[in-house]
Amino acid sequence: MKQDATDVRKVPTYCYQCVAGPDLLTVKVEQGVATEVEPNFCAADRHPGNGKVCVKAFGLVQKTYNPNRVLTPMKRTNPKKGRKEDPGFVPISWDEAFELITERLQRVRAEGMTDASGYPRVAMSLGGGGTPQSYMGTMPAFLSAWGSVDFGFGSGQGVKCYHSEHLYGEFWHRGFTVSPDTPMTNYLISCGANVEASGGVVGVARHSKARVRGMKRVQVEPHLSITGACSAEWVPIKPKTDPAFLFALMHVLLHEVPRERLDVAFLARSTASPYLVGAGGYYLREPVSGKPLVFDAKSQRVVPFDTPDIVETLEGEFVAEAVEHGPDGDVLGKGSLRGQTSFGKLVAHMATFSPEWAERLCDVPAATMRRIANEFLDHACVGQTVEIDGKVLPFRPVAVSLGKTVTNGWGAYECVWARTMLAALVGGLEVPGGTLGTTVRLHRPMSQRHESVKPGPDGFMWSHLNPTDKEHWSPNPNIRNAYRSMVPLATDGPWSQALGPTHFSWMFLDETPKGLPRVTLPDVWFVYRTNPAISFWDTDGITDKMTRFPFVVAFAYTRDETNHFADVLLPDATDLESLQLIRVGGTKFIEQFWTEQGFALRQPVIEARGQARDFTEIATELARRTGLLEKYNAAINKGAAGMPLKTQYGDFSLATDVAHSREQIWDAIGRSASAELSEGAEVHDLAWWKENGLATKAFAQSDWYLYPTLAKQNLRFELPYQERLQRVGAELGRRLHEHDMHWWDEQLHEYQALPVAKDFSELWTDELARLVRPKGGKTSDFPFWMLTARSMQYAWGGNVGMQMIKEVANNIAGHRGVILNTGKARELGIEDGDDVTISTPIRSVHGKAVLRQGIRPDTLLLIGQFDHWVTPFAKDQGMPSMNALTPMSMALTDSTGSGADIVRVSLVKGRSATTTPTRERARA
Amino acid sequence: MTRWAMTADLRRCVGCQTCTAACKHTNATPPEVQWRRVIDMEFGEFPNVKRVFVPVGCQHCEDPPCMEVCPSTATKKRADGIVTIDYDLCIGCSYCAVACPYQARYKTDKASFAYGAPTDNEAKRHDAKRLAVATKCTFCVDRIDAGLEQGLKPGVDPAATPACVNACIAEALAFGDLDDPQSNVSQLLQKNQSFRMHEELGTGPGFHYLWDKADL
Repeated sequence: MKQDATDVRKVPTYCYQCVAGPDLLTVKVEQGVATEVEPNFCAADRHPGNGKVCVKAFGLVQKTYNPNRVLTPMKRTNPKKGRKEDPGFVPISWDEAFELITERLQRVRAEGMTDASGYPRVAMSLGGGGTPQSYMGTMPAFLSAWGSVDFGFGSGQGVKCYHSEHLYGEFWHRGFTVSPDTPMTNYLISCGANVEASGGVVGVARHSKARVRGMKRVQVEPHLSITGACSAEWVPIKPKTDPAFLFALMHVLLHEVPRERLDVAFLARSTASPYLVGAGGYYLREPVSGKPLVFDAKSQRVVPFDTPDIVETLEGEFVAEAVEHGPDGDVLGKGSLRGQTSFGKLVAHMATFSPEWAERLCDVPAATMRRIANEFLDHACVGQTVEIDGKVLPFRPVAVSLGKTVTNGWGAYECVWARTMLAALVGGLEVPGGTLGTTVRLHRPMSQRHESVKPGPDGFMWSHLNPTDKEHWSPNPNIRNAYRSMVPLATDGPWSQALGPTHFSWMFLDETPKGLPRVTLPDVWFVYRTNPAISFWDTDGITDKMTRFPFVVAFAYTRDETNHFADVLLPDATDLESLQLIRVGGTKFIEQFWTEQGFALRQPVIEARGQARDFTEIATELARRTGLLEKYNAAINKGAAGMPLKTQYGDFSLATDVAHSREQIWDAIGRSASAELSEGAEVHDLAWWKENGLATKAFAQSDWYLYPTLAKQNLRFELPYQERLQRVGAELGRRLHEHDMHWWDEQLHEYQALPVAKDFSELWTDELARLVRPKGGKTSDFPFWMLTARSMQYAWGGNVGMQMIKEVANNIAGHRGVILNTGKARELGIEDGDDVTISTPIRSVHGKAVLRQGIRPDTLLLIGQFDHWVTPFAKDQGMPSMNALTPMSMALTDSTGSGADIVRVSLVKGRSATTTPTRERARA
Repeated sequence: MTRWAMTADLRRCVGCQTCTAACKHTNATPPEVQWRRVIDMEFGEFPNVKRVFVPVGCQHCEDPPCMEVCPSTATKKRADGIVTIDYDLCIGCSYCAVACPYQARYKTDKASFAYGAPTDNEAKRHDAKRLAVATKCTFCVDRIDAGLEQGLKPGVDPAATPACVNACIAEALAFGDLDDPQSNVSQLLQKNQSFRMHEELGTGPGFHYLWDKADL
């Protein structure tokens, strides 16, 4: 058939393959074939990354036409599941696939939504920090209609995210993610935050501009990352000793510079620094009202913190008529009690953490830390203001950012606390130039941080914590990872399941610890855009457990290591083939704070390949076949697909008794979204959205900063003293012990009012010792710290099967093997490109040596997450992963339920004959 | 006169390879052919190490060695400084690839595709004229020429600007007319210190690397 050469168009859409999205792009379509990706130049003035598109989005064309795609529904014919078993997938019709799934789901409904242990019989695992939501259409509406679902079988979330930043950051300043105010920051200390690889288009654009503007960034990390390369200074710290480094900076500010150089007014008025702490370690409170007490310098009296016209005193000890309440309301003291200010306790607490003390732990010269602390203070501009949107705000252009492995696992609490305190000491928290929270996920409304700020007890923001009191705490969790019972800070919202100890769901399948109901396999497990068989830890152990899952439904792009264990594969229409409208802009993720907000459309650029179906169509059909159509439509109407259809600006609700087409559903959502955006002035149908792709309105820059909102409500940041967390931890301990549960005792020690820095790397050495000593081995046989780092080209791993991504990624060191220090390699007789074997006492992986100077001699680096053994193309690349080496361990789980990507290993030249690498074991 | 040139700000580049990918899209180059790419370099020894990302490709030299050695006159230099290859004249001898001190030239003898057989998009864009001939960065000359015809300004209007520059998320790459003192590249060169690669060879590259502010 003759083709029309003029049939060329550019289609606007978005890419949200990683949390740094969305990137706004256009796709050139020539005679029905997608050929080129370009930035959406029309969005340049509305998008903080100038409408540009990251390298991953350029892989979307190849992703669409990849011949390795699963393009028909398939079912397993080999009932035996195992790595070595051929699943025997055969094509089936969509009708048969739906029948197979519906039959299982109906059985679940008939038998009860939860099993004998009280856990949901249906589970679903999603990857990518919430990004699947931007691709799964109306599936959330189906899940809402369905009811109880366990989202807690993790694929890395909880232990590979910025976990402690998420939980504590949201608690302290609605900073589920935390960012420097990069457009205004002048001095940035970055402990392992690899923003040039993980911050997406906006992060790269902003930091690039800031560098040229003159912002100094000090990169503190064991290897010279992409971000380190682009920094003014690299400080090669010993792995997992960042708390010592950060505490030393605090020590300098608190003990080596005049107090007046700090933002004393901010500390006194906007934090709990003046609150008096009693002998029992809890606030002294006014006996009648229960309000924390402060010493008023003006009246020279101890008064409740919210007494008008007082001048709070930062330091000193004072006596007052007071009561001191401990956990469970215990009265620790009553009457005339002596109390010290929280700030005074902080100063005393930090006395020992000098740079000289830290140097011994973190291998950074004391003089370097002292200089950095002083540079931080010199740049802080304490006392200065700036006008933004007509508002005069404090100007503090200094910040500290933290990266993965620093913000999760043991030591992360200490790091995030120290980071937030460094900001607070100079008044740089939630103000222009300073340290900002950019996302709220655990409190509502999630789309607006400021509205989530409501007055709570003791003059702080209200924060929901999972209950620890005797009446409400329960040893019977709602899902298998037990977040509600074990992690008060995880709260109990839609995102909480993924923020619990998601490795527990896997670990406890074999042995559930005392006190929790036995952890069970879900009857039905849905998997979408995630591949825990390679992306989590102890990947051997996880895959062994996957063989036992009775019924697995995998939305499959290609065959992969997780859907190898599936019973049904469903080909969903992928990025360039399906339809969805999402919210964009405002503030979210790390660097994604915009001066616009609105909606963007992802639309079919070409017809879906093969029999791939749009997720919305799949969700609608599942709802219809399971008899949940009314509830499903009602959930869409309520906003489960991202936008309520009935608002003050119009009613675009769908009839609930019929199945609507994909276009009908998104047309209604598009109309409601445009009505909301224009406050009722404009209503745009789906055709308009397809033509324009994007609609936004202004978002005030002044709304990046939370401090004014707290100040307006006379609220204080809950810093420095963690009285509430200390209480919660003590109560949780009591509850657990009342149920004879003692396996969480180490974690309970983390609930400290003032955290204590130490060499946290020793915990990993201790874990190693537990493994090697019974066999007569030595920890020194495993002298390297294995770490990982983000690859911008591969981030989130969904594109490992793209030839072009591999081709371009290979231009960057580390994508072909394990990075080790050149000098150390020379000692070991290893040349660049040599085969090496990396081992823990129980596992080994093989790879090629990549020699670089920019890494500590005691550190190895494996970028990304590979080690594929099924995924087409990726399985032939021979790239190892540390995930095969990293254990799931209770001892290495912190109180928030998080661990860290770090493990002690050995490295030898060649392919060791004494070990069997993961991939070879799979192929055996 | 016009002298098209490119600048790469080494302070800005993060080695993301977005330019590499954008070039591959726009120019439909086959696997492992990268007219634009960014190399990852290290200097010094631990712990005193510097790592830098350097965009490379054809430097569109004032005095191109590739042109000097071309026996078929396939390689030419336009009046605006862009070095071109006429695929109809090229005999695929590869002298140019050997002569180029920037390793900017490629030659692919057989059609190759990402996954063996061509996918729909590859089939659509495969150009047999590029087999067995030298290829390299063209500064997206087709876009420049088409853009100029429409009255657009290369380096400013995306439709008339090289794809790598359009795509650069760090704003490290810029393109423009060196002979226009007001162009973005002229302004960047005026305000910053810069160098050209292998300047000592006297090739007169049209690709300038910025590395620090100028002492104005």
